[in-house]
Amino acid sequence: MSRNRPGQPARGLALVTWLYVLWSLLPVLIAIRISFNSGKSRSTFQSPSWRWYFTDPLQSVWHDDSLRQPLRNSLKLAALTMLITVPIGVAMAIGLQRWRGKLSKASNGLMLFPLVTPEIVMGVALFLVFTQVYTSVPRGFTTQLLGHITFSISYVVVIVRGRLAAIGPQYEEAARDLGANRMQAMRLVLLPLLGPAIFASLMVVFAGSIDDFVISSFLSTGASSETVPMKIYSSGRATATPALNALATIMLVFTLAAVGLAALVMRRMRMRQGGGDDVQLGNMAAVG
Amino acid sequence: MANAAGAAPGGHRNAFWGFLSLPGVAWLAALFVVPFYAVAAVAFGKIDPILRTADPVWNPAQWDFSAMNRVIDRVLDPNDLGKTFLRTFAYVGGALALCCLIGYPVAYYVARHAGPKRGLFLALLVLPFWISYLMRMLAWVNLLQPDGYVNRIIGWLHLPGEHNWLNGDWPAVVLGLTYGYIPFFILPLYAALERLDKRLIEAGRDLGASPSRVFRHVTLPLSVPGLLAASVITVLPMFGDYYTNGFLTSGSPRTEMIGNQIEFYLRGTSQPQTGASLVLILSAMLLVLMAYYLVVTVRAQRAVAT
Amino acid sequence: MDTGFTRRQIIGGSARLGLALAVGVPLLQACGDDSKSSSGKVTESIKDGLKPEAGPLRVFDYDSYINPDVISSFEDKYGVKVEVTTFTSDDEAISKLASGAVDVDLHHSAATNSLFKLVDSGLIMPLNKTYLTNIGNVAAPLRDPYYDKGGTYTVPYTIFGTGIGFRADRVDPAGVNWETLWNPAYKGSASVLDDYREGLSMAMLRKGLTDVNTTDPAVIKKAGEDLSELTNLMNIKVEIEGYHTIPEGATTVAHTWSGDMLTALQYLPEGTTSDVLGYWQPEPAVINNDCMCVMTKAKNPVLAHLFIDHLIDKDNALTNFTFVGYQPAIEGIDSQYLIDQNLVPENLRTSVMTNDQIAKGYRFLQLSTDVEALWQDAWSKFTAGG
Repeated sequence: MSRNRPGQPARGLALVTWLYVLWSLLPVLIAIRISFNSGKSRSTFQSPSWRWYFTDPLQSVWHDDSLRQPLRNSLKLAALTMLITVPIGVAMAIGLQRWRGKLSKASNGLMLFPLVTPEIVMGVALFLVFTQVYTSVPRGFTTQLLGHITFSISYVVVIVRGRLAAIGPQYEEAARDLGANRMQAMRLVLLPLLGPAIFASLMVVFAGSIDDFVISSFLSTGASSETVPMKIYSSGRATATPALNALATIMLVFTLAAVGLAALVMRRMRMRQGGGDDVQLGNMAAVG
Repeated sequence: MANAAGAAPGGHRNAFWGFLSLPGVAWLAALFVVPFYAVAAVAFGKIDPILRTADPVWNPAQWDFSAMNRVIDRVLDPNDLGKTFLRTFAYVGGALALCCLIGYPVAYYVARHAGPKRGLFLALLVLPFWISYLMRMLAWVNLLQPDGYVNRIIGWLHLPGEHNWLNGDWPAVVLGLTYGYIPFFILPLYAALERLDKRLIEAGRDLGASPSRVFRHVTLPLSVPGLLAASVITVLPMFGDYYTNGFLTSGSPRTEMIGNQIEFYLRGTSQPQTGASLVLILSAMLLVLMAYYLVVTVRAQRAVAT
Repeated sequence: MDTGFTRRQIIGGSARLGLALAVGVPLLQACGDDSKSSSGKVTESIKDGLKPEAGPLRVFDYDSYINPDVISSFEDKYGVKVEVTTFTSDDEAISKLASGAVDVDLHHSAATNSLFKLVDSGLIMPLNKTYLTNIGNVAAPLRDPYYDKGGTYTVPYTIFGTGIGFRADRVDPAGVNWETLWNPAYKGSASVLDDYREGLSMAMLRKGLTDVNTTDPAVIKKAGEDLSELTNLMNIKVEIEGYHTIPEGATTVAHTWSGDMLTALQYLPEGTTSDVLGYWQPEPAVINNDCMCVMTKAKNPVLAHLFIDHLIDKDNALTNFTFVGYQPAIEGIDSQYLIDQNLVPENLRTSVMTNDQIAKGYRFLQLSTDVEALWQDAWSKFTAGG
């Protein structure tokens, strides 16, 4: 528990912190407000309307397929990435935590590498490998999915391992003493205990996939595999309308809803188990 | 270190954990290791004579280093790609400096002084992670338009000159990079500062040192590992960035970073070897940073496990 | 402190790496891409009299390059949907087609100087003219062009020249030439086309060198250096957005294509008239045309042919023109005709060309790999800020 020393330094720091929070979030709030403009201006506020969301018959997100398709693609990609990555990652986390030996150390190193690799390097590498080696993989959505899973696995492993280390082996040992075999101990005891971490992983993978630009961009084959970040990038400097802001806002709503849902589930799980906020936020920090 | 499952290395139980890891390891081997090798194979390979697309060479004995040599010559030329590398380093350095300047106080405050509001602040600090990077940049494009709010406020405050922000100058890029990546900096730094041994700091105060001396001689040195780790994790993605400046300054040679050149050569030319060579050179330069981070993380994992 | 990476492990690791290479390399060589189309030219088209497929017709094109109304009328006529996948440069288009990164039926805007790549690699098939009932509408100089003898593989879409688009309310139209792009009075609001052939050849033409296909390294290098002057002198932008940044006012002088200023008519903000737009083109200028061609692996080749036919219908071509602003390669549609039809304002007469100008223009020819590398590297040096 920190000793709170009220006084100049703390107040100055508080001011800096609040200014930072404002600087960090205000532009986005403004961008969201602009999405509700009734006119075409992307720089100033106009009277509020749903025009760019669904009322404009040609250019609103609801009616313009060139905006709807990226939204569909992004959500599909994020959902599938989440569903495939988390099981692989959880298994890998449990395995790596317990595995002994040189192969384990090497695998651990391998797992950490994607976390430190710049995206452009991964994007180029994946692009080249799918065009030169794994050429029978259908280009576009499938390759994007494979790419997203690849960079997401490490996040899951790091988050789950953090929780595993905190849990320790005693629950499983107790279960084994009571007669369960290894698989049962894992399934009935360990996995429920890992619940919050698994949900945190789902959230992180979902958000990471939705936000991905570089990998999606390098592995895209055209309109049918365009994602929302790609659309923002290609239209943002050109002749876009506030519909683009609307698209970004819709994506944000989806992400926050997913996060909110997961947070609720996690809270219910933790209340049943007892554990601190800091563990989860520590996981976030560890991943970052 | 407790031998938790009571297993001797190499036993049945050990193999079980190995098998659990197998899907993940196999996946990464196929889709991470092989692609890296593909980059080298393209960099040192040939091109299809008609289509002028990449024709990779897999056998190292047959590798052709001429493209790489040409690229290295250009990178060493301060009037050619050398300038781009230097500029990239400068932008990243500048953005990192800003991240430290802004991020350290914020992380420090939330870690040590926020008290009951800590949860709220953490939520606010984590929030940008859920907002798409490009949406955050889009927000700035909206604000920096000639008739956008930034210029309006400048006009209202009667500060000198309306500036055309999106016109291809380094401030837009450095500020963009800072804005985009600072959440990645603050959170790990917060985690590190939060774990600082408070007893050492209290000891400093108890010995009669003024708060600023305590900060300079105790807190700051103790924060260095956290600062380094946060810096590395922030700086690594910045080096390969090509979309922040592409988005904010739309193709100005004055703000070109190495990522833009990589994209040019791989997407739009008949010289994929040059693009792949640039990727290898960039990776080599970053290897030092990457290795540092990996070693530190492995040590931390081991420390937690014991 | 034990970091876990002992010397023994490093040596052991290297040995294992060597083993992995010895096993993996032949494996990768075996899996490698054989489907690259070095298989050669395709000489047979589709058969006559086939029925149109169910679609959707996938078109590969620049952004906003066909009038949505023309697309809709085609969709209604044949009851199919049309999907457009976009690219931003010709090199990107060829890269994506060659690597199989995109899978389309119709390449709508192939450049003439890289056409040989599509033909020689077998990516496009010869056209079956029986499906092209309007083929007689094609402009005379382009019926049997140098880049495609007999018009075997392609039908031209639009013709355009390269020049300078500018704001007539900020620049004196009488004095505009290449030097205007080097005039510091317009610092911060000038742009150059993001295309290495166009950019470098423009620097060459400015100095009176008319061989736009030069293989001389010194000339290419000098052109790159001239362009580099623009970096600090003009804070030059490198983009193909002139068609909207000029009417919006963000750019004053832009290296653009002739059609851009006509497209610009649609991007004028409210209250701004077309008088603010101006276009200058040297005489002779670099002339280019887009080509439409059908992919060999098209899943809807008949629809692709019919779509081409749809676009060279004279009425559709005019409708397209009102949207795209680029002169269609249709006989009889030239500057006088368009001005008479009030489709082009008098101050933009130079944006449309006569058959004579087309015949006399400089054309981009194909370059050998080594020479192409010289051009690309010189361009890279310029964009790298060097």
